[in-house]
Amino acid sequence: MRKLIMIIEDEPDVMEYLKTILESEGYDTVGCMTVKDAIDAVRRTPPDLICLDIMMPHETGISFYTRLKKMQGLQNVPVIVVSGAVQQGDFDFRSYVPDKSIPEPDCYLEKPIIIPEFMKTIEKHLGLSSLPAKGKG
Amino acid sequence: MSAAKTSRALKELLFDQFFQQLPFNVAIIDRDYNIVQANNSFREYFGEWEGKKCYAVYKKQDHPCSRCQSLQIFEDGKTRVIDSVVVDKNGQWSHHVVQSAPLMLSDKGHVDYIIEISSIVTDTAQWQQEFNILFDRVPCYVTVINEDFRIVRANEAFRESFGDVLGKYCYEVYKRRKSKCPRCPAAKTFKDGKMHHSEHTGIGKAGQNIEYAVTTSPLDRGRDKVAHVIEISNDVTRLKKLEKEVLEAERLAAVGQTVAGLAHSIKNILMGLEGGKYMIGLGLKKDDRSLIDRGSEMLDRNFDKTTTLVKDFLSFSKGRLPKLRMVNPNDLVMEIVDLYKDIAAKSGIELKADLKPNMARAPLDPDAIHTCLTNLVSNAIDACLMGEQKGSEVVIATRDEKGILTIQVTDNGTGMDYEIKKKIFTTFFTTKGGEGTGLGLLTTRKLVQEHGGKIIVESKKGEGSRFIMEFPRKRLGMLHEETEEE
Repeated sequence: MRKLIMIIEDEPDVMEYLKTILESEGYDTVGCMTVKDAIDAVRRTPPDLICLDIMMPHETGISFYTRLKKMQGLQNVPVIVVSGAVQQGDFDFRSYVPDKSIPEPDCYLEKPIIIPEFMKTIEKHLGLSSLPAKGKG
Repeated sequence: MSAAKTSRALKELLFDQFFQQLPFNVAIIDRDYNIVQANNSFREYFGEWEGKKCYAVYKKQDHPCSRCQSLQIFEDGKTRVIDSVVVDKNGQWSHHVVQSAPLMLSDKGHVDYIIEISSIVTDTAQWQQEFNILFDRVPCYVTVINEDFRIVRANEAFRESFGDVLGKYCYEVYKRRKSKCPRCPAAKTFKDGKMHHSEHTGIGKAGQNIEYAVTTSPLDRGRDKVAHVIEISNDVTRLKKLEKEVLEAERLAAVGQTVAGLAHSIKNILMGLEGGKYMIGLGLKKDDRSLIDRGSEMLDRNFDKTTTLVKDFLSFSKGRLPKLRMVNPNDLVMEIVDLYKDIAAKSGIELKADLKPNMARAPLDPDAIHTCLTNLVSNAIDACLMGEQKGSEVVIATRDEKGILTIQVTDNGTGMDYEIKKKIFTTFFTTKGGEGTGLGLLTTRKLVQEHGGKIIVESKKGEGSRFIMEFPRKRLGMLHEETEEE
């Protein structure tokens, strides 16, 4: 069964770019441009991994993340933050969410992404890092 | 006893009683400095006097005073009032005012004795001295000027900064002018007898600019007309310099945040460009024409975005000082209400003004405030549209309290959560997807800061937002081109 990756991103071009990469690598994708849509979608069909932007209209990615971590059965879905907000080493999740009962996201990747690093991260968090990069189905 | 004798005895008794009970120190002294008579008060103050010389009693010394005034009275028979320092029976020094008068036993003009009546004035003398020290040493400028605007008294601090100034015209000294200054607070005090306050720039004795805040008060000497005015000024040169530095620092901090925000925007565009490149490459590899076309379109879009961003950024970064005019802030608000009322109404939003009556004019850049209000009102309307709430309204209010002029835009739209609130001024953050560049609020903040003000946001998700532009009246105009005082 192909893995499903949810992309939460308000910038249409970034969304299309990430979808194209992931689909060409053999993953199924679902895209949401707002947190509201993402909450509905994640309830409907829980994904295997989430790529999450931070700065989005109405509600931020951080808001989505904290809500996700309180949702029954979805706490363990790996989340990779993909954002241009801060530099890779400077991302301080606790400055956004001081509540330590909420764990930090699994990884932070800075935009623009480097495809091999991006794919490696996806595979690692899907628990596929020992498998060949292609042909996961 | 005969009646005459009785009467004389009574007179002597009365005189003795009177002499003894006088509430001053009274002593009678002969030509050889001997005290021949003194009253109770004298004894109480100086102790035993019988058989002693006046200098031994008054000064506790064993020789006559070098410039004995009393001795001269024996020569010329004239009464004198002397300010003298004496020593009491406990060895305490004190100031006395002594009235010395000749006593003549015959009418030959020969002075046989002198009578000295002294009273303590130590408190008064001390007060005078304390006042002089206070006047001179108080760490601000103090001058007294007369109706001709001449300085009749100036303290040490003033003389140090402005030089020797007694008798000179105040305007000559303060500002090296040849005529009275406009907005002269002293002139107002002479006219109405009330206190007045204003801020000025003067020129010190070394030619340096001195910024000072002056308060003028009538020097009341019990006359109907104000004859003298006392001017107390604080040198605020350093304070003004610091305030300007703070403003500059705030401006620079804003520039830093803007650069960080710019980087964020560019990262998204770079993602788009990388994406386009990747899709073209993948399309070529898979011989997928549609993928190549989509990649090419993505490249085009993101090149266009780069152009737009650079143009916006250049117009944002234009360094200019506000072009200030004395305007009524209420008028600026009404212009915006008139401009946007119909547009808002078409979307079912009521745009209202809540103006402070009798608002005083203020030095503002009308174009800049117009831009700020346009940005804030347009954001507020968008927030109402996103809020999907009935009875939406946007209110622009003006206030003027405690020296702070505020213009605020309140909406009952969607509101913001904590993370959005944290980011709105720090990056090119937009909640309008591809439509906004995120420059509106940054521009607004920059313009407000250039006026010496700040912008505050209050917001609650689902309830609405309020953007408050605060302009301290004292800081308004600090960062515009310096102009000659009227």
